[in-house]
Amino acid sequence: MTTLTSAARPRRLTGRLVVPKAGAIVLALILPIALVALWQASGTNGALFGGALPTPDRAWNAWVTWAFGPKGMGLNPYSGTWAESVVFSAIRVAKGFALAIVIGVPLGIAIGWWKLFAMVVDPTIQWLRPVPITAWLPISIAIFGISDFGSVFLITIGAFYPIVINTTHGTRDVEKNWIRAALMMGSSPFTVLRRVVLPAALPSIFTGLRIGLGIAWTAVIVSEMVAVKSGLGYVLWDAYYVGRMDIVIADMVSIGLLGYLSDFLIVRVEHWVLRWRRLQSFNA
Amino acid sequence: MGTVSMTGVSKVFGGPQGVRALDNVDVHLAEGEFMALLGPSGCGKSTLLNMVAGFEGLTEGAISFDGKSVVKPGPDRGVVFQEAALLPWLNVWQNVIFGPQVQGVPRSDYEPRAKEILRVVGLEAFHDALPAQLSGGMRQRVGIARALVMQPRALLMDEPFGALDAQTRLSMQQLLLDVWQTFKTTVLFVTHDIDEAILLADRVCIMTARPGRITRDIPITLPRPRSIDHLLTPDFVQFKAEIMAEMRGAH
Ligand SMILES: Nc1ncnc2c1ncn2[C@@H]1O[C@H](COP(=O)(O)OP(=O)(O)OP(=O)(O)O)[C@@H](O)[C@H]1O
Ligand SMILES: [Mg+2]
Repeated sequence: MTTLTSAARPRRLTGRLVVPKAGAIVLALILPIALVALWQASGTNGALFGGALPTPDRAWNAWVTWAFGPKGMGLNPYSGTWAESVVFSAIRVAKGFALAIVIGVPLGIAIGWWKLFAMVVDPTIQWLRPVPITAWLPISIAIFGISDFGSVFLITIGAFYPIVINTTHGTRDVEKNWIRAALMMGSSPFTVLRRVVLPAALPSIFTGLRIGLGIAWTAVIVSEMVAVKSGLGYVLWDAYYVGRMDIVIADMVSIGLLGYLSDFLIVRVEHWVLRWRRLQSFNA
Repeated sequence: MGTVSMTGVSKVFGGPQGVRALDNVDVHLAEGEFMALLGPSGCGKSTLLNMVAGFEGLTEGAISFDGKSVVKPGPDRGVVFQEAALLPWLNVWQNVIFGPQVQGVPRSDYEPRAKEILRVVGLEAFHDALPAQLSGGMRQRVGIARALVMQPRALLMDEPFGALDAQTRLSMQQLLLDVWQTFKTTVLFVTHDIDEAILLADRVCIMTARPGRITRDIPITLPRPRSIDHLLTPDFVQFKAEIMAEMRGAH
C-alpha cells in the first residue's frame, strides 16, 4: 500500500513550480557565489596561475578605487573614472542599437511582405552577414577615423542582422486568416501592415532585439579596444597592456552586469507589450 | 442589396493539371436569403465561400456581388471564420470595432451600434478581455459581432459552430436565428451538419466531392421566425429524411 504524498504527486505537466520573488533571487545567486568562493579559495597570495589572474577580493578592491577613488591622481590613471567609462559605452550601445532598430525593423517588414523587394535585397544581406564586425574595423577606422561614430557604426552593423532576420521571419509567419479578416473589414494594405503584420511580428522582433542587444555589447567592446579611446573596451585593453589584471576582471564583470541590465529592460518591455502572447502560452 | 451570383464557377488548385476543387457551380442568392451549403469534407465548400469573400481567385466562370464582379475582400461581405480568427492582441471591444475604425467611420456612429451588438451576443461583461481569455464559443460570438457591426449586405460563415459542443452550438444557432430575424442580411452558411442546415436556412444546397458540384437545391419551407424547438417537428424530420436520402444516393 502506498499513499500519495504531496511530494510524490505528479505535477510536471499540470502544476507549476511556484517560487516567491525573494526565493528566485536566492536561487539565482547560489551559482555565482559558489564560483567566486571557489576562485577565491584557489588563490595563493591573492593570485592564481602564477600571478596571471588576481583573486576576486583584489578585483573588488581595484573596482572600488576605479569607481570611487579620487580623480586625476598620477599613480592610478583609472581612479574615479568607472562611471564615465560606463556612460561612454552605454551611450554608444544605445545609439548603435537604436539605429539598428530604425533600419532593421522596417527593412525586415518590407522583406517579409514584398516578395520582389525580398528578391532584390535579401541575398545581399545574406552575403554580407557572414562578415564579422571585427572584419569591418579597418574600413570603419579608414572612413570614420578614431571617432565615436566608428564605434556606433560597428554596433549598428552587429545588431542589425539579428533584428532584420527575425523581423522578416515574424512578418512572413503571420496567420493568413488574420490578414484576411483585416482585409474583409476594409483595411488598406498599409493598415494591414501597421495593425496586423507589425503586432503579429512583435514576438519575433523582440527575439531579434534581445539577440541584437547582446551583439551590440560585444561590438562596443571590440570597437573601443581598437577604434576609440574611451569606454569599457578601451580600459579593458589598456589595463591589460599595463598588467592591471584586477582592472581587467572588474571591467569584465561591469560589462556583464550592463549587458544583463539592458537585457532585463527589454524583457520588461516585452513582458508588458506581449501580454496577449503570454496568455496563449503554456507556461504563462 | 446583398445578392450573390455565381455562374459556371470552377476552381483548379495548382496549375492546369491540379486538383479540380469546384466544377461549373451555379448558385444565386437573393436579397436577404439564408442559404446553407451542405456537403462532405473536401468537397469545396470553403473554396466557394473564399471566392465569394474575395480571398481566392477563380479559374473559370464569374462571381458577382450586387451586380459587381468580386475582385477583393470588402466590408460589404462580412466573413465569420471557422476558428474565429480574432486579432489576439486586441481585446473584445477593439476586435469588434476594428472594421468601422479602419474604414474611418466616426466613433459616434459605430459606438452605440457596437455596444448594442455586444449586448446581443452576450459579451458586454467581457468588453476588455483578450481572445485568449475567452472560451471557443465566446470567441465565435466576437467573430459574429465584428462581422455584424459593419452592417454587411451579406454574411459569409464557414462552419462557424463546427468546433463547439452541442449545447453551446444550440444557443449559437438560436442567436443566429434571432440576429437574422432582426437584420435580414443575405447569409451564405457552410456546414456539414444536416440539422443545422435545415434549422437555419431558406435553402439547402447539397454538394458532392471530386469534382465539387452542387447536386440539389432544396427549399426549406419551415415557418419563420424559427427556434431550436423546430428541430423536433415532423416537418423538420421530413426535410432531414429527404436530405439524408440525397446524400446517401450521391455516394
Ligand atoms: N490551397 C490549396 N491548394 C491545393 N488544394 C487545395 C487548396 N485548398 C483547398 N484545396 C483542395 O480543394 C478541395 C476542397 O477544399 P475545401 O477546403 O474547399 O473543402 P471543404 O468542403 O471546405 O472541406 P471541409 O468540410 O473539410 O472544410 C480539397 O480537395 C482540397 O484538398
Ligand atoms: Mg472548409
